[in-house]
Amino acid sequence: MTDLQAYAAAAHSWLASVAPRYGRAARKGLNEADDLALGRAYLKARYAAGYGGINWPVALGGQGLSHIEKVAFETEEMKFGFPTHYFGISLGMPVPVMMRFCEDKAFVRERVIKALSGEEIWCQLFSEPAAGSDLAGLRLRAEPDGNGWKLNGQKLWTSYAHLSDYGVIVARTDPTVAKHKGLTYYWVDMHAPGVEVRQVRLAGGDSHVNEVFFDDVRLDDSQRLSPVGGGFGVAMATLMIERYVATDSSGFGPHLDMFTSLAQTVQVNGRPAIRDGRVRSALARNYAMRNALDAITARAMLMMQAGMEPGPEGSLNKLVSVRSRQKLSELAIDLLGTDGVPFDEHASVREDWSTSWINAPTGRIAGGADEMLLNTIAERILGLPQDHRPDKGVPFNAIPA
Amino acid sequence: MSLLYDEGQLAIATESRRVLEARVESAELLRLLEHQSAFHIGYWDTAREQGWCGIAIPEAHGGLGLGLIELGIVAHQIGRTLAGAPFLTGSFGVARALLDLGDDALKSAWLPRLASGEAIGAVAFAEGQAVLPAQTALALSQGKLTGVKPAVSGGAHAAVALVLASDSGVPVLALAALDGVARTPLVTFDNTRCAADLTFASTPAHELARGDAALAAAMQVLAAQAVVTAHEQTGGAEALMERARDYALTRRAFGQPIGAFQSVKHRIAELYGLVELARAGAVHAASRDRQHDFLRAAAAARIQATESYDTAARDTVQVHGGIGVTWEGGLHLHMRRARTLANEQGNMLFWEDVLVDTLEKAAQ
Repeated sequence: MTDLQAYAAAAHSWLASVAPRYGRAARKGLNEADDLALGRAYLKARYAAGYGGINWPVALGGQGLSHIEKVAFETEEMKFGFPTHYFGISLGMPVPVMMRFCEDKAFVRERVIKALSGEEIWCQLFSEPAAGSDLAGLRLRAEPDGNGWKLNGQKLWTSYAHLSDYGVIVARTDPTVAKHKGLTYYWVDMHAPGVEVRQVRLAGGDSHVNEVFFDDVRLDDSQRLSPVGGGFGVAMATLMIERYVATDSSGFGPHLDMFTSLAQTVQVNGRPAIRDGRVRSALARNYAMRNALDAITARAMLMMQAGMEPGPEGSLNKLVSVRSRQKLSELAIDLLGTDGVPFDEHASVREDWSTSWINAPTGRIAGGADEMLLNTIAERILGLPQDHRPDKGVPFNAIPA
Repeated sequence: MSLLYDEGQLAIATESRRVLEARVESAELLRLLEHQSAFHIGYWDTAREQGWCGIAIPEAHGGLGLGLIELGIVAHQIGRTLAGAPFLTGSFGVARALLDLGDDALKSAWLPRLASGEAIGAVAFAEGQAVLPAQTALALSQGKLTGVKPAVSGGAHAAVALVLASDSGVPVLALAALDGVARTPLVTFDNTRCAADLTFASTPAHELARGDAALAAAMQVLAAQAVVTAHEQTGGAEALMERARDYALTRRAFGQPIGAFQSVKHRIAELYGLVELARAGAVHAASRDRQHDFLRAAAAARIQATESYDTAARDTVQVHGGIGVTWEGGLHLHMRRARTLANEQGNMLFWEDVLVDTLEKAAQ
């Protein structure tokens, strides 16, 4: 057994030991408040057990290991259905950005430990009504105010802002220069006067995203995390920080085994659906594709262990897996017939085909829309030209609306 | 066996690519399209000189003693350059069956000759729409074969064939030297595959397996060949994706490179995804050789590779517009090869069924 296998095995046995208290079964029937409380308790236990901030520096409250152990732990952790999603963004981007760009290390260490033990949650305030894929088109203003700054404007699609204590934010400090050059990056206190969070209900019925309004919200200059006008660079660094995350070839929907079982259980024209050529073809094609995604992930892990940089093909997972989950969920609902009519909006996206289906579009838009991912592959990997960009080199306030 | 190539394996990839690119030209492949059952002699000489015929044959039998991973690496490069003969995959299938099931006399008669490329092997299981027929028209009686195996890849030049036959209704896997067997070469849309109908008439054969064991052994041979082919298909798809990319960077329309239009660049980005999926599936399957889940991994690799190469052929021609459908442009060489490889060693329908059968068993 390699060291890594031993690490994963130890993690697995710890996870299995706490699964009855915090896992899938313990969460059944809980409302959001109780589920969140369970999640906070799980994070506290996880941190106490030495599995919080696995690849973060010891000096800042982490465990000082590498991203390899982190991915190995996450891969094991995913199997148990713990209530960790409330903390995914928080620990994925804002807190690592604070570790890297905030100069007050004592403050950072305190925040890191509270975030790792589930006491505090951070959000990432990037997108706006008019700036999604085109992040640099954001409009929320930061203006000098005494020895600090004053924020005015609106953010949108901010995940878990309604639960957050802090956030990181990109704001426009200079509208007279090209759009990427007039942005600055800060952290904000979500409980500060002038911050108002309103939940946005999504198509599937849940409300984990928000619109956040800033009305003369006062920031100290020590809350600035980038040079004035250098915010876009930090935002890009944020998106690159968590390259090494556990991936899931089922597109964060139901596992393919669930589809196989369904096809063995239900009938088409009086025969088991698994005997129907259309169903067999869909199952086989999905298996072949997911098998390949899993092999890409496994190879990336081996490369990391060998001290190599994994190839860019890792970026395919989200693009390919969520699309396939969407279509497979449609087929599953078809197969269920009248059994597919009743709908429980609180069912798990991993265990219910209707919930998986209705939430799948979010997966194809959030965190890089399919079209943006294709652009990235075309431009960064294949060297194809950028799109026609009428906004290039034009001062932000002169871009035609 | 690892998903990650080691230095020696990477060296095989680099060297095989170098020699193939130096020796195989598409002008010659175009010329060969018009000649029935002619193959690219320069390619086959290269394969023999490089020892590729014996890659997966043990050193004791005159081979290099490597495995499916290394053969896959070479097959990938062969797919890129559209190498002009199908013999490597056929000979590999015959050698694999001999290694697993042949007696010492049979092994020493054939394996060294297959390893050197002096003898070419062909695998002849399919009849009409049946990829692995339990009942064949080819009959075995008292050790002699009678009947026809249709459209055998490499059949026009093979010295020995691995066949599925029926002995009073019982399936038999058998090996037959092809001296005296009548060969009817076929005109196909990919003539360098040298497909021929083989007509056996009281041809002596060595029985390797019988009954369910014969079908199971034939499936294992087919699966191993399918993994080699999946690498070849991946190489073909990769070469096409690169050609589409290169063309989209140089061809201009409406005042810009056509690669700046999302309808074109996204099509090529999708091809990149298909190539990487095919590669990952094929390499994974090779790394599972002789393991309990090999059949499932091989079927998955084969399905992904067929989808990838067919799509790459379709879309790369489309990106090229008019020049893509000319004879001289040569993209039709890949179109032809993509469809040929999709059909050899079992089509998509066959492998989808094989894969789902294994998934059903795993779920029970």
